[in-house]
Amino acid sequence: MTSDAAPAIRLDRLTKRYGRVAALNDVSLDVQPGEIFGFLGLNGAGKTTTIRILLDLIRPTSGQAFVHGLSCQRDGLRVRERVAYLPGELGFYRDMTGEATLDLLGRLGGREVDRRALLDRFELSSRDLKRKIREYSTGMKRKLGIIQAFQSAAPLLILDEPTEGLDPLMQEALYQLLEETRRSGRTIFMSSHVLPEVERVCDRIALLRAGELVLLSPVAEVRRLAARTVRITFRDPVPPPRGPWPEHSEAVEVTPRLWHLHVRGPLGPVMAMLSSLPIDDVDVREPHLEDILRRYYKEGAGS
Amino acid sequence: MIRGTAVLVAHSLKRIRGLLVGLGLMLAAFQFLLTQVAAYLVRQSAFSQLSALIPDFVRSAAGPSALAFMSFSGIVGLGYFHPVVLTALVSVMITIATEPAAEIETRFVDLTLARPVARFAAATRTIVVLVVAGASLLALLIAGTWTGLSCCAPAGVDRPSIGMLLSLTVSLGSVMACWAGVALALAAGAKRRAVAGAVAGALAFAAYLLDYLGQAWEPARSVSRLSPFHYFQPMTIVMGGSLSGGNVAVLLAIALAGAATGYVVFAKRDV
Repeated sequence: MTSDAAPAIRLDRLTKRYGRVAALNDVSLDVQPGEIFGFLGLNGAGKTTTIRILLDLIRPTSGQAFVHGLSCQRDGLRVRERVAYLPGELGFYRDMTGEATLDLLGRLGGREVDRRALLDRFELSSRDLKRKIREYSTGMKRKLGIIQAFQSAAPLLILDEPTEGLDPLMQEALYQLLEETRRSGRTIFMSSHVLPEVERVCDRIALLRAGELVLLSPVAEVRRLAARTVRITFRDPVPPPRGPWPEHSEAVEVTPRLWHLHVRGPLGPVMAMLSSLPIDDVDVREPHLEDILRRYYKEGAGS
Repeated sequence: MIRGTAVLVAHSLKRIRGLLVGLGLMLAAFQFLLTQVAAYLVRQSAFSQLSALIPDFVRSAAGPSALAFMSFSGIVGLGYFHPVVLTALVSVMITIATEPAAEIETRFVDLTLARPVARFAAATRTIVVLVVAGASLLALLIAGTWTGLSCCAPAGVDRPSIGMLLSLTVSLGSVMACWAGVALALAAGAKRRAVAGAVAGALAFAAYLLDYLGQAWEPARSVSRLSPFHYFQPMTIVMGGSLSGGNVAVLLAIALAGAATGYVVFAKRDV
């Protein structure tokens, strides 16, 4: 039974083991309808395993996965009527033309949207489509993969590494398409390890590390919790402060003409401290998601 | 469900149409050629000379089948059990039956089964394609025989009856179905087509040798019952005997068991 109130995706203590190896371990999360959700992690973290469980291509060892309130295992067919999928590894038949491939997959899927507009957007001509896929470049195959996913009008799009192999212009075209898709009320669940891309398009992120969920948060919240980098250069040499640094700030580098600080929280106390000093320049850099997530990745590598 | 199966069937048939047409025409041509050879031997009155050339010990070992084979009908029927024909047809069945493993190996399955297509539909597709392909190949084999008999059979020769040709066809079709079922069962659980195909092919070859051994060596006769080829008895039909329903039932039972195993394994596995 579907419900409008049901999350677009719900993972409930999802676990997948291959022998002694846990590809996924007790992962629980909800993805709300209409959001773009970034599913992050290094290679082998369990992103694709999760996606394949959602599509009932593989079965969980324990736990459950739901799409719009429907069990991915018990109601797999009805779930897949509501899902469009871009695999990370595109298993097209190399001796088929692009057009035949799109036609075949379109006939297997549900209701289709205007394919012509998608082809124009991703600059695939009718001539390109008449060619065999073995003649396609990596980027063209990716574009074909994107079109086969977006040619379905399914309310949930699951995209596994969608920009892999795309040139910057096509990446931009995809970002615009993602934005339009979100505005139309559809949900996007995308795995990626391209962090600037995630930062740009996603509303919320989850980070998997060795099969475990280590972060689940709105992108803005992650950024807010992270430290801003403040670099202050002085006209004249300045001694370090005699007392403690202002609240929520820490010194990274202190020289007579340059202070390099990390500030978590408001900048007011730092600015107040600087007001009496001979400042030449102040450079404040907002934290990048990449900086924060790198830390999570590194912790994993070190653990 | 039916729509998904139909789309997949059309896709698979389109992919193998070259193989089917090519092999089918070759089989038809081979069968046509056999009728020409048989007609030539009749015109030359060579059957009696050939029979006389068979040494007595071979004649006694082979029994009446040797004499039955040395006839117009025997030569014409050869195409329905010749090892090359048998190998070609069983190989095609194994190739088609292992398509599920190929789709898993190439990850094409991620594109099809991620859509509202049941795994049941994918397995059914393979069975439908096996039936269509097998029936088409056998039809072309019969067409080759019919063309040869129509155009070139000498007048007054004892032609093979329609019943005999149909019996030979059913017998050959049963053994094809049997190995298709075995291959489907193996492919449903395999990650690679080559592995499933090689195992099925090796089993078929071993079973053929086992049956041959059972025919040639008395102590191996009881063990040869384990070979599906033990239940493929075309010479009995060529000699004028009737098609054994029991033999066909055994072969079709193996085919059905293989198909059922394939369905269950494919439905439960991680793809």
